[in-house]
Amino acid sequence: MSGGLILHLIRLEASKLMSYRADFWITAVANLLSTVVVHWFLWRAIFATTGAEELGGYDFPVLMTYLILVNLIGRVVRGSDLQMGIATEIYDGGLSRYFLYPTRYLPFKYAQHFGSIIPEFAQMVLFAAILVALFGLPAGAGVTLTSLLLTLPALLVANLLYFLLSTPLQCVAFWADNVWSLGVLLRFASLLLGGAMLPLTMFPDWAAETLRWLPFVACYEFPVRVAMGDITGTGELLLGLARGLGWCGITALCTRPLWRRGQLGYTGVGI
Amino acid sequence: MRMGRYGRLYLNFLRFSFSRALEFRVDFYFRIVMDCAFYAVNLIFFSLLYGQTETIGGWDVHQTMIFIAGFFLVDAIHMTLFSNNMWWLPVLVNRGDLDYYLVRPVSSLFFLSLREFAANSFVNLLIALGILTWAIARHPGDLGAANLAGFGVLILCGAFIHFVLHLLFVLPVFWLHTNRGLGMVFFSITKLAERPDRIYTGVTRRVLMTILPLCWIASVPADVLFGGITTERVIHLLLVMGGLFGVLLVVWSRALRDYASASS
Repeated sequence: MSGGLILHLIRLEASKLMSYRADFWITAVANLLSTVVVHWFLWRAIFATTGAEELGGYDFPVLMTYLILVNLIGRVVRGSDLQMGIATEIYDGGLSRYFLYPTRYLPFKYAQHFGSIIPEFAQMVLFAAILVALFGLPAGAGVTLTSLLLTLPALLVANLLYFLLSTPLQCVAFWADNVWSLGVLLRFASLLLGGAMLPLTMFPDWAAETLRWLPFVACYEFPVRVAMGDITGTGELLLGLARGLGWCGITALCTRPLWRRGQLGYTGVGI
Repeated sequence: MRMGRYGRLYLNFLRFSFSRALEFRVDFYFRIVMDCAFYAVNLIFFSLLYGQTETIGGWDVHQTMIFIAGFFLVDAIHMTLFSNNMWWLPVLVNRGDLDYYLVRPVSSLFFLSLREFAANSFVNLLIALGILTWAIARHPGDLGAANLAGFGVLILCGAFIHFVLHLLFVLPVFWLHTNRGLGMVFFSITKLAERPDRIYTGVTRRVLMTILPLCWIASVPADVLFGGITTERVIHLLLVMGGLFGVLLVVWSRALRDYASASS
């Protein structure tokens, strides 16, 4: 796939998303506000009850920073996951036209998916800047320009990994009519197991240790820890990225036979 | 007589919905699994929270489990009875297909709110009921029959409030011609209902108990189960439900008045 085509697809998808500008902004603002309100009241109540300075290694301001960042980053990682573009095209027969295109289907879809996260990324930066301007950064959160720059590769790996995790689920559409619920299932599971609902340090030790070997951590917890300056050594950063890329490889390998088998049975009739 | 007609009509809705759901059997099972995952994630989340603290908003782990199971039940009732209809309404408005429903000799609000019964979510409703029974059974203290009855009634009221709020977020489609944004806003704000109401204080609490009565969906019913109901609460609930339903009827009639059929 040529670089020009990729850029064109990215631009096209970004502008498509922005054609519903009001919806896009209303959704994002409501999501952020409700997240902040829920976490703020919940954790304030828990800190007040326990009287503890720190829970799971986080004091209240730093925990809030973690939870808000994971929410903002999560939107970029997932992109338009619930639209289930691949599954829809399999189901309605739209996949057939790609057989005529002189390009490979899955990279094409990823370029489209990537385009849809560009506005989300811009929004994330804007919201983060507004929140920092309004409330400042807590002393314990090690967010620096360097840590933010280092987050970019982690974010790219996380986005690719989430796309690859959802691809085999979407391939089920070769055999089933509607697989939207599998996308939602992935979202629920990844949010909890990836440390997006609460940090992994609040899980029992055995669970946290096990979860660090699963792919979901690379989608949520790892990019946030990089952004918060928790991961300082180059070795730790590279290991985290390598784990994410490793899972990308494993998922891609698992998708391949599923995709081939599905294509063999694909009739292109659609609904 | 009139109620009987609506009853028969609803039985037909059920018959059609079940036969349609069984046409897509795999989806039927996937959706059940999806909702079970939602229940599991929330139960694990609260269990992990109680690894950090003894109480949340004054409730211990047993009380919170009853509260969250109550929320599952309300959510399952909503998904079973109303959710599909809320999804279809914007489509009908934008295509002009609403015309067919407006000319029928039944209440359009009744028809459009209850036409689609989600058979797969009905299974989840039974599962949610099972989780609630389990949560109540493992509660160490005696909850009392009167409180349990009050809880049951308030959970049904919570489901009604949930439905009215959702519909109020869908109805702007009559003027905006899209409800994607507002629909997502509704799903975002329901997160507020998934936490015990006592954690909210000040203006936020007042808003969540009156204008946007999300605390009444599952948290206040649970509070009544543990502490009993008071006259003050009953009046408050009646005012909230009456007010919301009044607003719904006004918005609905205005929406129908401004509806200009296809491509409006």
